[in-house]
Amino acid sequence: MYRIHIDRSLCSGFGVCAELAPDVVMVGPDGLAEIRTGLTDDPAVLEAADSCPMAAITVAVEEAA
Amino acid sequence: MPRTVLVAGAGLAGTRAAETLRAEGFEGRVILAGDEPTAPYERPALSKEYLAGTKRERELLLRPAGYWRETAIDLRLGQRVDPVDPIRGTAVLSSGEELEWDALVIATGARPRGLPFPAPRGVHSLRTLADARALREALVPGSRLAVVGGGFVGAEVASTAITLGLEVTMIEALHTPFERTLGPTVGRLLAERYRFHGVDVRVGTTVAGFREDEDGALQAVKLAGGSEVRCNTALVGIGIEPAREIVPDHLDGRPVYTCGDVTASGGHWTSAAAGGASVARRILSLPPAPTQPPFFWSDQFGLRLQLVGDTTHAAAVQIEGGPDTFIARYRDDKGRLVAALAANRPTEVAALRRDLAAPARERALARR
Repeated sequence: MYRIHIDRSLCSGFGVCAELAPDVVMVGPDGLAEIRTGLTDDPAVLEAADSCPMAAITVAVEEAA
Repeated sequence: MPRTVLVAGAGLAGTRAAETLRAEGFEGRVILAGDEPTAPYERPALSKEYLAGTKRERELLLRPAGYWRETAIDLRLGQRVDPVDPIRGTAVLSSGEELEWDALVIATGARPRGLPFPAPRGVHSLRTLADARALREALVPGSRLAVVGGGFVGAEVASTAITLGLEVTMIEALHTPFERTLGPTVGRLLAERYRFHGVDVRVGTTVAGFREDEDGALQAVKLAGGSEVRCNTALVGIGIEPAREIVPDHLDGRPVYTCGDVTASGGHWTSAAAGGASVARRILSLPPAPTQPPFFWSDQFGLRLQLVGDTTHAAAVQIEGGPDTFIARYRDDKGRLVAALAANRPTEVAALRRDLAAPARERALARR
């Protein structure tokens, strides 16, 4: 499982994360990224974190309980 | 696979290079050396939230203090890397320490371009946190500020200074602010907005020098034509020049990579980030990550401007919306969308970026 964290103070609203991992991240009404679900098994979050120009997304790998 | 990667320059590009090496599983030594005394920080905020006083210094840090130890990135602050020797694979830090490396990433960035006149006390530029601290001290309510150059740094500082209660004059050599980056149509719109907020905008005006008092303190900016703008503080924001001192002029020896502003690729934040990450992937012989269109944003006079794409080859611009919220679409001479500027339209940026990325992807596929 991946635990995703978005530092909204770094987010600048590029929005590529929401496109790469639409089930996990969305663009909120303020234009900044919002997490739909903090814990996911969707590997797209890794690509979303890599593609963030602000490096605002961090992903931690957690062992399944 | 190199054993030691030395990254010279701890700005965004260098930081992203070091981080990406680790994120992609590189287990060798990573040394990240920067000449500023501060851990890697968010430079765009200097002319925005930091100057306005809404973000404090520690809130500018790109990573929490413990991050560097956790990721085993050997962070050397206050250390300039100069000279480097690619044949021997060595470099000398300003402390005198000699380091060995197998791959060198040069991410030394850029420095603000200066005017060709001696600058008295009171003339500032804005690139580093130290610059921002000094400028912040100088922006005293009721005093007079002259901003030389109507670009992103100048406009953001002017905006903050107006909010703080200064009298602000903007001096721009071209016909409108942002003429080169955003074009004259959007430039005129922005100039009107600055004037509405109380900025004395002087376009088509060049600077001839500074006038100082007998103690060496700034009194006025002298303009070509003989008149002058009285001021206590001047900010010169007329662009940057790459800091290429240690870039070798030959390709012999161990591999050397450059990324970020030192490559003079436009100086946009996302190009620096992507450049740093892409250099790390090349060092590790990984396939390149998909490219994204350049992205930049600016907060000024109640507008959040977000620019996606590259306006260099724009031939026409079409504006939709009014002065407080609009989208400007830039097309090349074949009518293809090359860039888009969203002003107070944050939720539409993702779609604009998608529109821009699609043809770029097609072109990349066609080249294969």
